[in-house]
Amino acid sequence: MAVDYKKELQQIRWDVLEMVHRAKEGHIPSAFSVLEILYAIYKNKKEEDAFFLSKGHASAGLYAALAHFGVIKKEELKTFCDYDSFLGGHPHKKAGYFMNSSGSLGHGFPVAAGYALSKKIKKEPGKVFCVVGDGECNEGSIWETAMYAEQLGLENLVCIVDNNNSQVRAMVSTNLAGKFGAFGWDVREADGHNVPELEKALFDQDKDASKKPLCIVARTVKGKGVKAMEEDTFSWHHRAPTDEELEKFKVEIFQ
Amino acid sequence: MRKQFAKTINELGGEDNRLVVLLGDISHFLLRDFQAKYPNRFYNMGIAEQAMLSVSSGLAMSGLIPMVHSIAPFVTERCFEQIKDDLCYQNLGVNIVSVGSAFDYASLGCTHHCYDDIAILRTLPNMQIIYPSAPHEFDALFRETYANGKPKYFRLPAKTHTLPTKPKFGEVERLYSGEDATIIAVGPQIQNAYDAAAELSKEGVSCDVLHLTTIKPISAASQKIIADSIGKSGRLVTIEEHTILGGVADEVAYIAKDIEFRHRRLGIEDKFLTNYGTYEEHCIANGLTKEGVIKAVHELK
Repeated sequence: MAVDYKKELQQIRWDVLEMVHRAKEGHIPSAFSVLEILYAIYKNKKEEDAFFLSKGHASAGLYAALAHFGVIKKEELKTFCDYDSFLGGHPHKKAGYFMNSSGSLGHGFPVAAGYALSKKIKKEPGKVFCVVGDGECNEGSIWETAMYAEQLGLENLVCIVDNNNSQVRAMVSTNLAGKFGAFGWDVREADGHNVPELEKALFDQDKDASKKPLCIVARTVKGKGVKAMEEDTFSWHHRAPTDEELEKFKVEIFQ
Repeated sequence: MRKQFAKTINELGGEDNRLVVLLGDISHFLLRDFQAKYPNRFYNMGIAEQAMLSVSSGLAMSGLIPMVHSIAPFVTERCFEQIKDDLCYQNLGVNIVSVGSAFDYASLGCTHHCYDDIAILRTLPNMQIIYPSAPHEFDALFRETYANGKPKYFRLPAKTHTLPTKPKFGEVERLYSGEDATIIAVGPQIQNAYDAAAELSKEGVSCDVLHLTTIKPISAASQKIIADSIGKSGRLVTIEEHTILGGVADEVAYIAKDIEFRHRRLGIEDKFLTNYGTYEEHCIANGLTKEGVIKAVHELK
């Protein structure tokens, strides 16, 4: 009965690679890290729900996922990062597909919290999902927002931390679950590349009884799906594959 | 001024259920009526200005009209990037209302002074900057613009003037007619500009006194009034409780870019004001007085 999500994600990964290869621009490992999260959210998201990508540099992943779900035309992916494209290195809302124009870290999360607050004020249904990175959690505004969400009773806010350990080079993200918990959030942990597990964490009905905002700390791998990237995230963080690399990675992805 | 601010916000809170108040932990007592009547549209966001500004962006995205209020340095300088990315880049209708700009908190020292707010915010596309300096000016300008869907900054000074002005968004107002010099004033310094013009007229020097309550944008018609006046007089004095770099002096000089004129900038030099004391003492020390205006006009003779 279940769709073969693994197969679909292989195709989405390939779309990301092709986009970045064509544009010679983009952050592949960050995109690969969040693909299953985006897939789980967009597959189940209701009309009244809203989604904010706070770590905008995973844009290639967002575009490919939206193309998969038919929000963006697949053809449009081929314009990625062109001068007059709607799909840039960071998302811009002129495209009409995104809630916020993003890029700078530590912004999308408080904006999403504001949107969640507006739903409460207007007594509107629906949840507000927001993906932040573990590196982004270095930003003070993330923790200002963690405080706000609890104080303002934003039980309609769901924060997903893409915990891909990108900050091992600087400020290691230790115990993010404990930190959000200390700020008064419900916290769940999940394998960030396991769609059923993510779906359970994101949409489990028990959650509706809670009056607290929900944080899901998703264990992810930066560059997931391509060994070379998983093993050398630093050099791959912002680089496009060559023609030879593309062919090699294609085989690996569709294995 | 703050009383009028509370009155206007309270009244609009009743007229428009989209208005949401976010406070940076000031004026909660002043706005207690709003809080009592509309508790789900009143939030004291504490001391976390960066996230407060971003939250206002999320509220505006859904069609609500936030009024974000705190002390000038904390609601402009500290969260400049939030204003850039989350308000101006998204082009959303958020109203920032500050108190304590320039050296209104004279005795509290430089961290609590803020005389670059106009300069930094002018650089942001989509931003609108409004500077009322009498209670009736705030009431008129806020009502006219609060729901216009644009990011806006209202700078509320502690000192007010008593002139019977008729402010209109985006327009300059002529308060004194003359042709020997053009004096352009913003904020409470309009009083000194006006009083100086009255005194100068006794010695036979006639001044055009122009009052700006909107600093950005200035309508094409008002830009023409400004340029024509400077073109006629060839002498310009600007006066502002703000650094002479990037504020009204620059805005007006840009408007008059095709005209030959001499210019005296009354304002705060490029320095920290490390003295304490009172607002009046700072005005005197920085030449922001009637005498200062008269001296500047004489220098341009």
